[in-house]
Amino acid sequence: MEELTVRKAPLPWWLGGLLLGLTQVLAIAVSRPLGVSTQFVVVDSLALRQAAPAYAKAHPLIGDKVDAKTEKVLVNPTYAGVGYGFWLDVGLLGGALLAAILVRRWRLRVNTVWWRASHSSVLLRLLVGLVGGFLILLGARVAHGCTSGQFASGWAQLSLSALPFTVGMFVFGILAAAVFYRRVPKFE
Amino acid sequence: MDPRIVPLLIGALFGGGLVLSGLADPDKIVGSLRLRDFHAMRTIAVFVLVGMLGTYVLSLLDLANFEVKPATLLTAGVGGALLGLGLGMTGYCPGTGLACAVSGRFDALVTVLGMFGGAAVFIAIQPAIVAPLDKIADYGKVTLPQYSVFVPSLTETNPAWWVIPIVVVGAIVLLLTRPRGRAA
Repeated sequence: MEELTVRKAPLPWWLGGLLLGLTQVLAIAVSRPLGVSTQFVVVDSLALRQAAPAYAKAHPLIGDKVDAKTEKVLVNPTYAGVGYGFWLDVGLLGGALLAAILVRRWRLRVNTVWWRASHSSVLLRLLVGLVGGFLILLGARVAHGCTSGQFASGWAQLSLSALPFTVGMFVFGILAAAVFYRRVPKFE
Repeated sequence: MDPRIVPLLIGALFGGGLVLSGLADPDKIVGSLRLRDFHAMRTIAVFVLVGMLGTYVLSLLDLANFEVKPATLLTAGVGGALLGLGLGMTGYCPGTGLACAVSGRFDALVTVLGMFGGAAVFIAIQPAIVAPLDKIADYGKVTLPQYSVFVPSLTETNPAWWVIPIVVVGAIVLLLTRPRGRAA
């Protein structure tokens, strides 16, 4: 049955945050800062290369360049194949699945407690999900990174770009949440 | 060693961390954005502070692999706003959306589908719309120590002047405001 109270998280805030922070440090020590959103463009780009190769290969962002002197095709290093970032996202899926099963939080769900407090329509939730997802990734790539790549990794490296991103994200995040989630549910 | 092993392992740690920390839970994210349930906000604060301090230590040992984003301030702000809208609407971001989709949340799966749509539109509009916007207020791949907004005569300040105060103040605030009793 659907839940009616917001559950506590598996770990307290300081331990979960520590775990994530140490993962970031490990990532930066071993290879590069964490990032997630680029791979959505990679997957779309790979599909586009199959479906519309002429358009894709000539595209300024996802396409290949041709060396002017040797006339060799330089395959796009970021969007033409699966690399480090792709496997990181695959690992993310695996780790999340394992963790969810281990702490017994894996559950087939279509709704959230906060949504049910304000809305009765599940269909609306899914529609909002579709539109919201669209905005999330469009925004992430316009900003050159998402909550992982721009916000978390940005602040870890003291990137200047993290500042306007953070302001935009919180201001509009708080506004949007206030509009879509007017009623407050019960907490555990 | 197979080059996929390192990203798979680090990704798994990250995905597992998102679930165990409770960030991969749209109710927790919305709860913080609605300023009622601060668990997610506190978790994220620790995530950022530990990451910042640890990265600084790594840089002292010359072990840090930096990849600083270009400071294209207009697109960073606009993109952040768009992402914020979606985050506030759904309680998901790309990482937690994936983590929740694989944890049985069908609404997260639909959101992830929407993300692929957003990526497709991004591909379409990037050359004509985003690339020109990137050029407005582009300060290069700079960090806060490199962009000494407060002392223009300096070209670069020691990162410690940023990291130490931020981490210390952050830790003090988190400690002073920590929930007592049952709340976490």
